[in-house]
Amino acid sequence: MKEIELTSLDIKLYTETLDNGLDVYLIPYDNKNNYFMTYATKFGSDVLKFDYEKEEYTPPLGIAHFLEHKMFETESGIDPFTFFSESGTDGNAMTTYDNTKYICSGTKNFEENLNFLIDFVNEPYFTDENVEKEKGIIAEELKMYDDIPDYKMEMRLRENVYINHSRKYDIGGSVEEIYTITKEDLYKCYNSFYTPNNMFILILGNMDVEKTIEMIKNKTKKLKSKELPKIIKQEEPARVSKKEDTFYDSIEIPKVAIGIKIPKSKLKLKSVELDLYLNMFTNIVFGSSSEFRERVRSEKLLNDIYTEWEDTNDFKTFYLFATTTSPSELIEEIKYELDNKQVSTKAFERIKKVWIANEVKIVDNIERMESNIYDDIIKYNKVIDNRIELIRKMEFKKLTKLLVDIDLSNISILKVLSKEKSD
Amino acid sequence: MKYTKKDLGSFNLHLINTDKFKTVTTKIIFHTPIKKEDITKRNILSDILLQSSKNYPSKRDLIIKSEDLYAADIYNNNERAGNYILTSFILQVLNDKYTEEDNLEEALDFLSEILFNPDINNNSFNEEKLSLVKNNCKVSLSSIKEDPVNYAQIRLNEAYDKNSPVSYRMTGYEEDLDKINTKNLYKYYENMINNDYVDIFVVGQIDENKITDIIKKKFKFRKIKKQKSEYEIDIKKVRSRRLFAKETIEASQSKLVIACPVGKMTKDEKNYALTLANIIFGGSVDSKLFKIVREKHSLCYVIFSSLSKLDNLITIKAGIDKENYLKTVDVITEILDQMKKGKFSEKDVNMAKEIYISSINNIEEKPLYLINEYFSEEITKLDNYQERVAKIKKVTKKDIIKALKKIKMDTIFLLEGDTK
Repeated sequence: MKEIELTSLDIKLYTETLDNGLDVYLIPYDNKNNYFMTYATKFGSDVLKFDYEKEEYTPPLGIAHFLEHKMFETESGIDPFTFFSESGTDGNAMTTYDNTKYICSGTKNFEENLNFLIDFVNEPYFTDENVEKEKGIIAEELKMYDDIPDYKMEMRLRENVYINHSRKYDIGGSVEEIYTITKEDLYKCYNSFYTPNNMFILILGNMDVEKTIEMIKNKTKKLKSKELPKIIKQEEPARVSKKEDTFYDSIEIPKVAIGIKIPKSKLKLKSVELDLYLNMFTNIVFGSSSEFRERVRSEKLLNDIYTEWEDTNDFKTFYLFATTTSPSELIEEIKYELDNKQVSTKAFERIKKVWIANEVKIVDNIERMESNIYDDIIKYNKVIDNRIELIRKMEFKKLTKLLVDIDLSNISILKVLSKEKSD
Repeated sequence: MKYTKKDLGSFNLHLINTDKFKTVTTKIIFHTPIKKEDITKRNILSDILLQSSKNYPSKRDLIIKSEDLYAADIYNNNERAGNYILTSFILQVLNDKYTEEDNLEEALDFLSEILFNPDINNNSFNEEKLSLVKNNCKVSLSSIKEDPVNYAQIRLNEAYDKNSPVSYRMTGYEEDLDKINTKNLYKYYENMINNDYVDIFVVGQIDENKITDIIKKKFKFRKIKKQKSEYEIDIKKVRSRRLFAKETIEASQSKLVIACPVGKMTKDEKNYALTLANIIFGGSVDSKLFKIVREKHSLCYVIFSSLSKLDNLITIKAGIDKENYLKTVDVITEILDQMKKGKFSEKDVNMAKEIYISSINNIEEKPLYLINEYFSEEITKLDNYQERVAKIKKVTKKDIIKALKKIKMDTIFLLEGDTK
């Protein structure tokens, strides 16, 4: 087992790849009562098609999420929710584009809960009846999201940004597609992607590291690594699918959504460094202490804004979502910022300071820490143990160089307007 | 961990000294009996205080200052607690040992600037800033139906008892918004600073004497404390027949919300037996509602119930298909009836106790949980959290049945989704 100091955070990471390929990451806290454990597979809604027993197989959309729901069935009839609740522990699971995670957090019965978590994720039990029963539940889940205007806006923008890519589809699929799912579909996906070499265990909190790693080894020794099937992807063109679009929804205040698709191949920076500098750029230009924010706020052009970067194999995609009473004016303001890409050393240094402080602050919060470490594993296949150092070493000239190289012209703009007001 | 409460005359200072956190969290709570017509004003006031101050004339200046304090977080919150409205300002900053000496003191100084040195001229707030904040408020008021869960809850509360503070909209009211101007807002500010009850909490690894001195110096309130009125809302007389109410909006899903008032019971009965009853009924993913309405009948994805002790109310919420409306109500009614007849197991009781104890074990893990705990102990007259673990263990199934019998389904509201 490797012991790695997370620099400047007063905590250590213990990590090991077991013989069957399962990665284990343990971060003990000596001053906490609670723990947070995650068992995850790098399988999500991104897989649209793969080779199964030498033939191309296209599962219904939403299969990864459906599978996540159905993992809570056990042959013994012991419901994982019930099992965890018996010790006052919370159990849950989430599916996203590139992974599915099963989590459990509590203060008691560490060993029993860890064993159970590993067992129920390793032992699928799908029947025609239990698959059928889930369809109504998931249909209501999809409908719930479908009533959230911001969610609908994001889905619409994704369709406008991507042409063939899996990121244009809802993670949960659609009501029509999920109704076609059978237990055979679930087993095919489970057997292909829930293998130790495609999975990892991450635990933070109150634990005995030596004992925990032994338990995990014991519990998973019968699992065999297995070659992952070939995932069939359609090529994604560099251009966006639709440059401009207007969408009418039952909302009162208009919204604006912007997506910029940037091919990674043209950028010199890679991996963590690239992410740090891209975030730095959008933080200086659109962040809470930016001049842009002050200007659009005082001109009453902005009520709410949210930005993020998405990473896919070939692209970095920047998203901006805003609520505004004047969509056209706001779009002009945003375009102006994107054209000028103005950054100052003062803002650069200030944001570095903020990021470093935030890295330290997050350690106190075990859930947020889990989420950061988890994201590292998914994105970089390792935990970034020296992020503070990397931030400290960031250079302004590297940022300006990136801004010269980067092409922001591949942009898709969506306006969401009030349905009633347009009638 | 060590908790100390100091009576500083015009306010109470609560110090929670613990080495668990790398941050120091300060929360200032202003509280006063709630008046419906003041809610909007209070929202506007707490927002405008975070727009600018005398020494920091723009929001950007305020944000840059907090960033310079090693990313100090400063934010506000308005909520109702029974008959009271609570307005809080929260400051979270890294402990000096991760920043530089006196960073915490400077951050407290900054919070004091925001509260005591607002952007005032001629006894009036800044016109432009007020117009901005009012505009934001107007936008959120007009888009209230875009959060259907919250909107269904608001409509349920209004149908339940339109005269009770339970029904007050914490988002505020458009007609009150129009009445606010720079002068009357300043008057209201003075009123809040001078007349509200104030509690200040500081959590983290702190030098208690030093913090007390800093707080005394920087936060000067004048209020002389009087006997307080009750936080708890009076018990409501239950309707003889259940009230059904409905509104239709454009949506794929319908939201079913049900208000179940709680009858007269002792403090212990409410804090223990009823609390467990709610966990078993709908307060967890292993509850009867979850297991039967969702897992057995596949009627929904979300369903849960929550207990508000100060409001004497249990609320049930579910997202359903409108075709299943009456069926869902019937299933829920049946579950509650069966539970009143004792149809739940000792295992259910033990599980609920474990869930309760687990939430208590988590209190010390987050600064805001700790603050919330000590403040709630005072306003809801709860036993100390260590004592509660001992007391909850003693609750029997019989106690829970007795508490359940005092719950009635009273008002049922459907926010019907129609796709047109």
